[in-house]
Amino acid sequence: MAAVNGELALTVLMGLLLVGVAAWLARVENWRSYTPLGSGGVYGGETGQAHHEKPSGLTRWLTTVDHKDIGIMYGLYGVIAFLIGGAMVMVMRAELLDPGATLISNTFYNSLLTSHGITMLFLFGTPIIAAFSNYFIPLLIGADDMAFPRINAIAFWLLPPGALLIWAGFFPIPNLIPAQTAWTMYTPLSAGVGGGNQANAGVDLMLLGLHLTGVSATMGSINFIATIITERAEEVTWANLDIFSWTILTQSGLILFAFPLLGSALLMLVLDRNFGTTFFVNDAGGAILWQHLFWFFGHPEVYILVLPPMGIVSLLIPRFSGRRLFGFKFVVYSTLAIGVLSFGVWAHHMFATGIDPRLRASFMAVSMAIAIPSAVKTFNWMTTMWNGKLRLTTPMLFCIGFVQNFIIGGITGVFLASIPVDLVLHDTYYVVGHFHFIVMGAIAFAGFAAMYYWFPLVSGRMYQRTLGKAHFWLWIVGSNITFFAMVLLGYGGMPRRYATYLPQFATLHQIASLGAFLMVIGGLIWLYNFVVSYFEGPVVTDGDPWNLKEYNLYTGEWEWFDRKLKTTITDGGDEEVATDGGLHGPVGAETADATDSDDSGRAMDANDE
Amino acid sequence: MSTEESHDDHGHHLPAVEDWPRGFGEASWWPIVTALGATGIYVGAALFIIGRGENPIVPSIAGPAVAVGSVGLFLVGLYGWLYHAFVKAFWSGDAPGHGNGLKWGMVAFLGSEMGTFGAGFGYYFYIRAGAWPPSELPGLLSSLVLVNTALLIASSFTLHWAHMKLREGDRDSFVKGLFATLVLGTVFIGGQVLEYWEFIEGEGFTLTSGVFASAFYGLTGLHGLHVSLGAVLLLIVFVRALMGQYSADRDVSVETVSMYWHFVDAVWIFLVVVLYVGAVVGAAPA
Repeated sequence: MAAVNGELALTVLMGLLLVGVAAWLARVENWRSYTPLGSGGVYGGETGQAHHEKPSGLTRWLTTVDHKDIGIMYGLYGVIAFLIGGAMVMVMRAELLDPGATLISNTFYNSLLTSHGITMLFLFGTPIIAAFSNYFIPLLIGADDMAFPRINAIAFWLLPPGALLIWAGFFPIPNLIPAQTAWTMYTPLSAGVGGGNQANAGVDLMLLGLHLTGVSATMGSINFIATIITERAEEVTWANLDIFSWTILTQSGLILFAFPLLGSALLMLVLDRNFGTTFFVNDAGGAILWQHLFWFFGHPEVYILVLPPMGIVSLLIPRFSGRRLFGFKFVVYSTLAIGVLSFGVWAHHMFATGIDPRLRASFMAVSMAIAIPSAVKTFNWMTTMWNGKLRLTTPMLFCIGFVQNFIIGGITGVFLASIPVDLVLHDTYYVVGHFHFIVMGAIAFAGFAAMYYWFPLVSGRMYQRTLGKAHFWLWIVGSNITFFAMVLLGYGGMPRRYATYLPQFATLHQIASLGAFLMVIGGLIWLYNFVVSYFEGPVVTDGDPWNLKEYNLYTGEWEWFDRKLKTTITDGGDEEVATDGGLHGPVGAETADATDSDDSGRAMDANDE
Repeated sequence: MSTEESHDDHGHHLPAVEDWPRGFGEASWWPIVTALGATGIYVGAALFIIGRGENPIVPSIAGPAVAVGSVGLFLVGLYGWLYHAFVKAFWSGDAPGHGNGLKWGMVAFLGSEMGTFGAGFGYYFYIRAGAWPPSELPGLLSSLVLVNTALLIASSFTLHWAHMKLREGDRDSFVKGLFATLVLGTVFIGGQVLEYWEFIEGEGFTLTSGVFASAFYGLTGLHGLHVSLGAVLLLIVFVRALMGQYSADRDVSVETVSMYWHFVDAVWIFLVVVLYVGAVVGAAPA
């Protein structure tokens, strides 16, 4: 029975994947009509050469090296991965509604657990950040593109095959089963030795796919470092570089050292599994060595994922508070401090492994110290809002949600940094609750804040604000229900990673699943909102849909957008648009209409408070 | 903060107007071709691993075949990309504005290389700190290693000398220096192959000979790959130099390849000190 259900869930997942791919292809075609507003390249001045059109149709997306196009592709990729990773965890949460293994087998649960973690961290987290940084960093710093546009394109195209390799075990391929190693891939389990089934090639394919995505991330980071250092416009100095660029620069520095190290460790593991080397399969403690290498990457990875969202929040909160970021310099310093300290905390993941107590104590000290720059940021966000003229738009709500969830996730983390507390709570749901407050409650929240904030700029249309707010409230309530229940489960002693559990944990598990279902509803509302608004939302006619000029908080990317709109209107629509944008006819005519109606972008946003 | 206006003074976005597809500005097939080639190498490795199992669903030749084909595709992609963007563009004089970014890119790449090598060295230090030697060591400190080390160090000097000569406008010496570097690097690779052959055939010290063998072949193999890549890069620079490219103020790729080559050289010196000398010195007789 369990196996049948497993197959069923597998089929559903595959179906979702195929629907996602189909939707993507459909949108690819539709984007032809979208060229005028978001993606540039058509309107005057974008390039100074004679031939500046882009190819049409699918060719345009396969050959593009435009940072905005690549940013959109990263974004779509990240969203698809988010939906797949979310579907995986929903199967798990459904399984956890009761103590036994009723819905899926334990092994399939383990596979979902592994792939959920890998998908969310490597296929959603890093790419969705790359989406925003690709699209907006060049606009924010006044560069005409990334330093290496083609490396940018290559880095993106490595990702889809990486995802397919990682998920290969789920596809109906004979003799191939998905990895069940958890995202930490601890040896000796992941080395495939012993009596388990982890010698299967599905694990090797996942390791290779991870290596591929790591190469992609490293190429991206090199590109961002070179771009931010050398491509800034003359008036953009280190002193007035925006906060998002600072966090991306720091994040790229972390990626630069963390991901290649993981890459080598992954290849060493592949060699161990297939070619008889003994990197991690030896009596001299190779299993602990894997943990050292993995967490030397893994903890910086946490900051790789959280620093840019912090930058987004630091950028957005002032825009909707009517004030400049409080203590800008200290936010930058704390970013750099976190970047440096993040390489000195990895062994706090290994307090329970029996490593030298002196080593543990020093890592405990650094782990607690890193809470200080994090707290500096939190207080800066709060003081920015303090006495500010708050406008509770959807992106602002998500930013405030970020701060609140980050505080809970951060405080629960400080307790884990303390060795005696960690020894009690290690490997319980407390840890799961803690890091989900950060990765879902904070990082994903900031990602969605950014999607709402820049939706008008990218799509040229406005989303439905009521649905946006419904999304937010479902998520803030849902995330706190789910992750608080997890923290409580951990206090009760519920171990991580189990498909089945003792009956006394049932109520809290059901509450956690309830919160997760609320988040699914919120996510579906978001999906509906964005898809419908993308095609039918009110056209934005003002280059300042968030009314930032009034507070003197206007930034480069909106200036670019404004220029784009003005060119559109004064041109009255270019012949390119008329032929290319078959759906709507000349843009000039349409925008003129929209200006007259009350639900056009600007009029609507003024009310979005 | 303008994007439009800044186009006028940044010339570098016109690297490949005669690219494929022709006439679409920056758009190019080369990135996705290169990415597909790179991906195929991973798919080949995956197929190879699948093909080794019991009841394999793919023939054992599939993996290597896909990998070799993909390396070819990857190189075609790189060639198309580099040829249009740099080699051909050199003559039209568009390339130099890009130099600063390329140098920073190389610096960042070398930073990432520290991570790549770091995992291997981390493993070695980890086992070296334990009971030593873990098993009988092969004859590490042979004259071969000393000669090879001398060759590689000498190649750094010849490359630097060639670059200095280019800066002085002495193209003949520049080309000679490049050639000498290329020869030294190639001989070094030959020396490494010879050493592997002696260890594997002569002493029976192979990849599967235990914890030290993993460190030895892992690190020297990784380094050997880097030297080989460096030799390819040097070859490209050399061919371009023979074509008459580069001058005192247009030497970006000479400089970036130099940085890479010196880095690989420095890694080798570190590797010899810790892996060859460090394994023998202080080792109790097994």
